[in-house]
Amino acid sequence: MIPGKYRSVSGRATNNVNCGLHLVIQTSSLPEKNKVEFKLHKETPSFPGRLLQHDLERNYSSRQGDHINLVSSSMPSFPILQRSSEEKILYSDRLTLERQKLTVCPIIDGEEHLRLLNFQHNFITRIQNISNLQRLIFLDLYDNQIEEISGLSTLRSLRVLLLGKNRIKKISNLENLKSLDVLDLHGNQISKIENVSHLCDLRVLNLARNLLSHVDNLNGLDSLTELNLRHNQITFVRDVDNLPCLQRLFLSFNNISTFESVCCLADSTSLSDITFDGNPIAQESWYKHTILQNMMQLRQLDMKRITEEERRMASVIAKKEEEKKRESQKQSLLKEKKRLTINNVARKWDLQQHRVTSIAANQDRKDSDSPSQDPCQVDGSTISAFPEETGSLDSALSNALQGLSVTDTHLVEVDGDTLSLYGSGALESLDRNWSVQTAGMVTTVSFTFIEFDEIVQVLPKLKIKFPNSLHLKFKETNLVMLQQFNALAQLRRIDQLTIDPQGNPVVSFTLWKYYVLFRLSHFSMQKINGTEVTQNDMIMAERLFGILAHVASSELPQYRLISILGDARKKQFRYLLETKGKKPGVVSEENNDSKRLVGENTNRATLNYTTRDFYNEKLEEIKEKKKFCKMYIEDLVKEATEINMKNEALQKLWPQMFIELVRDAVIEIRNKSSYMKLCLQQITDQK
Amino acid sequence: MDPGVSSAQRHVLTYMEDAVCQLLENKEDISQYGIARFFTEYFNSVCQGTHILFREFSFIQATPHNRASFLRAFWRCFRTVGKNGDLLTMKEYHCLLQLLCPDFPLELTQKAARIVLMDDAMDCLMSFSDFLFAFQIQFYYSEFLESVAAIYQDLLSGKNPNTVIVPTSSSGQHRQRPALGEASMLEGVEASLFYQCLENLCDRHKYSCPPPALVKEVLSNVQRLTFYGFLVALSKHHGINQALGALPDKGDLMHDPAMDEELERLLAQVPGLVNSVTASSEASCLPSRTPPRVGSPWRPLHHARKVDAESDGSTEETDESET
Repeated sequence: MIPGKYRSVSGRATNNVNCGLHLVIQTSSLPEKNKVEFKLHKETPSFPGRLLQHDLERNYSSRQGDHINLVSSSMPSFPILQRSSEEKILYSDRLTLERQKLTVCPIIDGEEHLRLLNFQHNFITRIQNISNLQRLIFLDLYDNQIEEISGLSTLRSLRVLLLGKNRIKKISNLENLKSLDVLDLHGNQISKIENVSHLCDLRVLNLARNLLSHVDNLNGLDSLTELNLRHNQITFVRDVDNLPCLQRLFLSFNNISTFESVCCLADSTSLSDITFDGNPIAQESWYKHTILQNMMQLRQLDMKRITEEERRMASVIAKKEEEKKRESQKQSLLKEKKRLTINNVARKWDLQQHRVTSIAANQDRKDSDSPSQDPCQVDGSTISAFPEETGSLDSALSNALQGLSVTDTHLVEVDGDTLSLYGSGALESLDRNWSVQTAGMVTTVSFTFIEFDEIVQVLPKLKIKFPNSLHLKFKETNLVMLQQFNALAQLRRIDQLTIDPQGNPVVSFTLWKYYVLFRLSHFSMQKINGTEVTQNDMIMAERLFGILAHVASSELPQYRLISILGDARKKQFRYLLETKGKKPGVVSEENNDSKRLVGENTNRATLNYTTRDFYNEKLEEIKEKKKFCKMYIEDLVKEATEINMKNEALQKLWPQMFIELVRDAVIEIRNKSSYMKLCLQQITDQK
Repeated sequence: MDPGVSSAQRHVLTYMEDAVCQLLENKEDISQYGIARFFTEYFNSVCQGTHILFREFSFIQATPHNRASFLRAFWRCFRTVGKNGDLLTMKEYHCLLQLLCPDFPLELTQKAARIVLMDDAMDCLMSFSDFLFAFQIQFYYSEFLESVAAIYQDLLSGKNPNTVIVPTSSSGQHRQRPALGEASMLEGVEASLFYQCLENLCDRHKYSCPPPALVKEVLSNVQRLTFYGFLVALSKHHGINQALGALPDKGDLMHDPAMDEELERLLAQVPGLVNSVTASSEASCLPSRTPPRVGSPWRPLHHARKVDAESDGSTEETDESET
């Protein structure tokens, strides 16, 4: 209860805050309890430990203002404050001027020992006229219209500075306030933390409800225990690990969305209490356990105690995430390596293809010094005809190859049911010891950047090592002739065939699919290049090439058939001949196999494919034989002509010879008796 | 070699050499069933024209008979492709040729294509009959055509290999020059002049040439002609085709009743047609695999088919192939 004598007149009536006007305010003695609103102790200059910011935020409406006399002064704008001496003695160290409708700070005379000054809820725009109050410890300017921090440079003892709910845009002019303990700047328009590094005694800093977009520049605040940054626009926080005493950090209602933006908090060993509610990060599924895992020192999160259970859960989840990340990293590394390898293989392949173009082109141009840019020229079209020349590498080309950083020249990959081979070196992997399980699971084999002729040579190995392979894919394998498909007939079974147009000119032919169906009809293929094989396709294939098969089998002389079919098949036939003696009911695995092999349409079996190199080798071998044969026949012919000549000569001479023979005989017998004597003589001579 | 030996005799020797060579290559196999039989088969196949199947190009090119046989074989095997109406590129035809002769050179096919396409865009599609007749001319008369090309070039540039320049008479030279002037302004060469050169060529050369009378016929229809025009005319000339004797007339090109019959028989054996009842129930799926044919190559085909007929009916086989 305020005694009437001391009732404040300041209330409503004479609230003219214009300059020069009298303002009579009378102090009153307030009940004890109101006095200690802000918990100031007269005795101790230092502040008590806990000063909850809630208390500071709230307007500590206590006394309705001391009754103070403000008399007009000589200076036109500033009123002068005077207190009665009673009051001066009673409340010698504190002065309250809240809700006085002040627009300016009045000049306070004769109160040099003042320690607490309260200007709450006024309309003050500038801090002035308090430079003489050098003992001031507590200055409260909450809820005014101050736009700039100034006029405080003499207040070296100031411990508590409350500037909440003003219009301050910048933290400045606090250089001399080295003893500052509490700085409250909530509800202003501050966008940057600056000029606070010298406040090494500052324990509480309140910057809530400002325009901060980030937090940094916090070095030097070695005593800061509590930092309130609620209701700003903060996206990242830095330098908090430079605050050795920081225990409580309030970041509610900001714009933090990742832990990386506040990662410095993990390095702060002193933090025990933190709030993130109202941030985007708090909505994330990984929020709680990430925070807990990274900030083991925390005791409270979002104003709730952290239990052991929660911590345990967090670490478990975090470990799992770590594992997952490591796995995915490994996966992506592997993928990258694969990609690089495939790129290398592709480049080598291109060079190989273009090497022949460049050599052929060189021969055309008859260029003596081959330009170095040849390997780099991209023709776009690969050669469709078989490369005739295989000559030695161009010098420029070998340089280019050396320039390549080849990490790996081939790639072999088994992915569940697909075996992928990139580059010709990969074919050697078929020799590896594949586990039966792995090999058995493989149903698709894909060849890329490998010459088809090289693949042909390893097909028997493929048949043995990967018996369940049903689907073959070829890409960039230089399939140029229909004949090459003949080589696929030796496999056990093919259900699907995919020939990628890229790098396989054969696909541009109109008839290629029908030829494949025709030649590999014993496989009863189901799909070619993804499209199902229809009955009509089979019929068409047979119709187009059936006669070829007929000619190839029935019109070839026997000896040709056998020589074409070769040794391997002969063994099969022999085996079949032997098995004919077995009981018809016996069906063994081997039997089936050989049956199937033989069961390939025998009228097509003569359509074979020998790779270019083998064929040339064979022709070379035959050359010798041909030479010999030629000579042999020539000799025979010579002999025959000689004999013929002799025969003709004999024919010519024979009549004459015959006549002479007869004449000689007749002459001999002319004289019978002398002839008889001659004969007898001859007989006795003989004896 | 006796110079008196005629070309026919020389070719016989070629076959003998080849026969002996084949014998050498396959002596293990052939010794099993006798050399006499081998020779019989060999020369039989030469007569029938099947000796060139799957042989190397050098052999196929060796004699005119070989060339003609090859042409005929190509026609018989791939007539169906033509009948189907597909137009193919030069490369695809080359592929088909390679099916019968693995090392057939591309240049020949290219030259043949040039005849059809009149040296124009080489990627164009060609019909089977066009290609076949052009190919016939190109392949059978390759050497002849080369010489003709040389002659044509000479004529184009004004040099007439035939003219005997008599220094004393100026009239021959005078007659020469206006011809030269004409040749340079108009396309191609004068037909009659061209024919004279060709006639000489035919007399002189030992390899096969088209009958001169027919060539004269070709050239008598036109005043001037280009090289490819000449070749096209050659390829389309019925008489020359008949003289060659390898291919039937253009009108009959798609007819080969014997082969068609054979084809029908083969088609009847296409998997699925036999089990058409089961196939129709599963709309788009392929029917079960063919029961394996248990024929050996030594048995003629019809035996093998008989075996198939047996196995077709048995459920045992079908069950097997189901697994």
